[in-house]
Amino acid sequence: MEHYIRVCDVEKYYGNGAGAAKAVDRVSFYVEKGEFVGVMGASGSGKTTLLNMLSTIDNVTAGHIFYENVDITDLSENELSEFRKNNLGFVFQEYNLLDTLSIEENILLAMTLQGHGKQEILKRCQEMLRLLDIEDIRAKFPYQVSGGQKQRCACARALVNRPRLLLADEPTGALDSRSAQTLLETFTDMNRKLQATIFMVTHDAFSASYCGRILFLKDGRIFHELRRGEKGRREFLNEILDVLSLTGGEPANVK
Amino acid sequence: MLNKLAFRNVLRSARDYMVYFLTMMLVTAIMFAFHSLIFSEEIKQLSESSLILHVFIGMASFFVVLIMAWLINYMVRFILDKRSREFGIYLLIGMKKKEISRLYLRESLLLGTGAFAGGLALGLLLQQILLAVLYSMILMEYQVRLEWSLNCLLTTAACYGGCYLLALLQCRRRFRKMNIHALINSRRQNEEIRESHEEAKRLLLPLSLLFLTASALVLFFYKAWDIDTVLLFLVGLVLTIYLFYTGAAAWVICYIRKKGNGIFRGQNLFLLRQFASKVKTLRFTLGTLTSLFVLALLGCAVAMMFNDFQNQTLLKKWPFDVQVFSPDPRDDFQEQLEVLRRETRIKEYHTYPIYQNGTDTVNAWLYTHLKTFGSQYQNPDGTLNREKLEKDELWDYYEYDTYMALSDYNRLREMTGLLPVELEDSQYLLHLKERVWEETGDFTDELNLQGTRPEFRQSGASESLQCAGIRTEPLSQDGHNGADYLIIVTDYTVSRMTPYYGVMAANLEERAPKDLLRQLDGLSSPESSADFLSHKENMFMACGTDQIVVYAVENIVRDNLIPEVKFMLSSIIFALVYMGLVFVCIALTVLSVQQLSDSARYRFRYQVLHQIGLSRRELSGVIGKQLTCFYLCPILFAAVISGTIAIYLGSKFNFYTGTHTAAAGYFGIAFLLFLAVYLIYFTVTYVGFRRNVLSSDRRAE
Repeated sequence: MEHYIRVCDVEKYYGNGAGAAKAVDRVSFYVEKGEFVGVMGASGSGKTTLLNMLSTIDNVTAGHIFYENVDITDLSENELSEFRKNNLGFVFQEYNLLDTLSIEENILLAMTLQGHGKQEILKRCQEMLRLLDIEDIRAKFPYQVSGGQKQRCACARALVNRPRLLLADEPTGALDSRSAQTLLETFTDMNRKLQATIFMVTHDAFSASYCGRILFLKDGRIFHELRRGEKGRREFLNEILDVLSLTGGEPANVK
Repeated sequence: MLNKLAFRNVLRSARDYMVYFLTMMLVTAIMFAFHSLIFSEEIKQLSESSLILHVFIGMASFFVVLIMAWLINYMVRFILDKRSREFGIYLLIGMKKKEISRLYLRESLLLGTGAFAGGLALGLLLQQILLAVLYSMILMEYQVRLEWSLNCLLTTAACYGGCYLLALLQCRRRFRKMNIHALINSRRQNEEIRESHEEAKRLLLPLSLLFLTASALVLFFYKAWDIDTVLLFLVGLVLTIYLFYTGAAAWVICYIRKKGNGIFRGQNLFLLRQFASKVKTLRFTLGTLTSLFVLALLGCAVAMMFNDFQNQTLLKKWPFDVQVFSPDPRDDFQEQLEVLRRETRIKEYHTYPIYQNGTDTVNAWLYTHLKTFGSQYQNPDGTLNREKLEKDELWDYYEYDTYMALSDYNRLREMTGLLPVELEDSQYLLHLKERVWEETGDFTDELNLQGTRPEFRQSGASESLQCAGIRTEPLSQDGHNGADYLIIVTDYTVSRMTPYYGVMAANLEERAPKDLLRQLDGLSSPESSADFLSHKENMFMACGTDQIVVYAVENIVRDNLIPEVKFMLSSIIFALVYMGLVFVCIALTVLSVQQLSDSARYRFRYQVLHQIGLSRRELSGVIGKQLTCFYLCPILFAAVISGTIAIYLGSKFNFYTGTHTAAAGYFGIAFLLFLAVYLIYFTVTYVGFRRNVLSSDRRAE
């Protein structure tokens, strides 16, 4: 069976010659459609590099990344932009909202760039605002709302184009625990209701416990994989903490 | 350590604010070059009118210094704002406020001195270009020679240093008031977008446009301008410019809020928001820049008008090499001829009287019909209001109509290379200035000039003369051969008239010696040339209705006067171009610096756009559009305002001086010159902006 996303022997080096640093070392895995995959690892383990390569904003040194049967490592600059626009959605730790645009406009812009019609844009934007419970603050500017609201706006922007893959880089990193929980529940909802495929990088075990599957990265390599299956979240969290304590992860981040 | 820090900071500032640094260099260079015209000994000897050049350049320098002070003040504060976080950190690690303010002072002075030194070197080069242009304008040979005067250097340094110190003193006050928290957070505060009452503010846009249209109508149709109305007009205009930007930003914001169709196309939403937020925060700066652009464009357009006059009209103004006026119609001009014979070689000359017959039919018609006079000398029934005319003591026309004998006329035509004309005793010929003819057309059917027909010779009865035509060739009609007009009649008709005043016209074999005019002037008794009023009791010289550039003198030596007038005109042109150039450079610097220094913030925005799917090529397009919008807005707005005013001024200038360029033509040339400077700044900003924004993007990839 064809996997939804296939990462094959991907390597990433920074610098060259003797001073070259290996950030990702022959990593291979796959993601199925509608999966919620998390990547965990300590600082410098290569998780953000991996996410950047998956999201096409960084290129691989060796290896291939397939989205169904499209090899994005073969695409040109312009094709990549087009691919990114049509297939990917992003949520970052720092929200990355445009500060000159209101919450609603941030979502609208993502759709206008794709060339949708006005009515469709307004309808879908309205849906997303309602779904993520940010209808009340639609006219506000990013600096006027809380971190959690900003991050939900970023989610709405990422999901409004119905991307094949939602990429999230430490999405709860800048949030208080309550907002983080709300956001993660939103992610789970998106995953269930909209069948959104989510790929999330985090070093926080609590956030990771919302995922369906977790890849553990160390020194650029995948050294373990956990599947949640039918387990409850608390039980899954304990499993994650076990792995982290075994491998000298970062239990300090456990909430 | 502090010195090292200051030096490093200066290097960084010079790099970050390269456009500012270069502009300061350029302004110093321009200022130095123009000041060296004031202090040049050679120019002092060149022309008697060098004082005029001093006055004009001095006045222009005054405005330039004002604007430069504004730029320096703006930039010193701007850099302070941008670096406030850094200063906050200095405070945090234990530096005293005094030390920081001294550090900043030292940096600013170093940067200023660097720009000044560079400017001086560039100024010497520019000075050579200026001198060469000036010499070629006044038709003289120029030999390359460096003009170096301590006074010039000191004046330039004083202007420059004064501006700097003033700005820095203000900054010290700001430093004293700030605390660490305010410093570290000051940038963040600037970034907040406050939108309130946008719906109401939006109305300012149509209101300001309405006011502008009204201003244009007032400009073209209002007649009774005086100093109060001009001031009121200017204040209203400047106010409108400021309101326009507040209104424009609010209008765009409301359009976005209402979700107009335009925002759903491509990157329009992003561009419109960028534009609105920039215009909103910078509305006062943009208003000031627009006012500067308007002044610069108008200055250049007026300079073009004078330049045009210089090239078109001046050479036609005096058709004879020498012309002398004498209040005594029987003057044989022996003294003057003696001087001419002694100083040069006469090719041909002619002395002749101008006649009058005690009537002023043509004068009366012109006083009541020319636009110059409007209706101020008209009685309600359209006739001439003599009482008012008497009271006003005008010098435009002689007391009586001026006549010339046909033989004298044909002799003058011959001297200017024109074919002779024929006339019968019952006819007259009107010789009009071309400029007046263009305004009046043929008005001879409204005139009733009296002469004596041959058949009535015995009885001496007078009869109406028939007009045989109108001539408009240049004939020195600023008082010598009549003022504005001359009626030519046959020698017989003229023999019944009274000689009015005497004129001599001469052409020379060679170029007139430099001081010929001075020698001729020396012959006149002091009161006849110096005191027109005492002179008027007997006979005064009229000067016609030319305005703006008027040169009514008794003695004319063309080769002496043209350089003199050209020198005066060049003084005006130079001063206007000087001001225009500096204004444009300063305004463009502010625009550039605003954009470039914000590129860090833009870098982030463009990165986000890149992440949500815009390719680098599309990003370049968006950058281009964003900069074009921001750059074009003040220039187009200024072009509309200054264009309207320039067209009005141009038509007035053509009207008063007789030049022929289309009124919009002056503005067109000025605008093209302006665009050239504009494009340079735009390109530098675009390249710098693109590099700043997209280079980081490449790193992210």
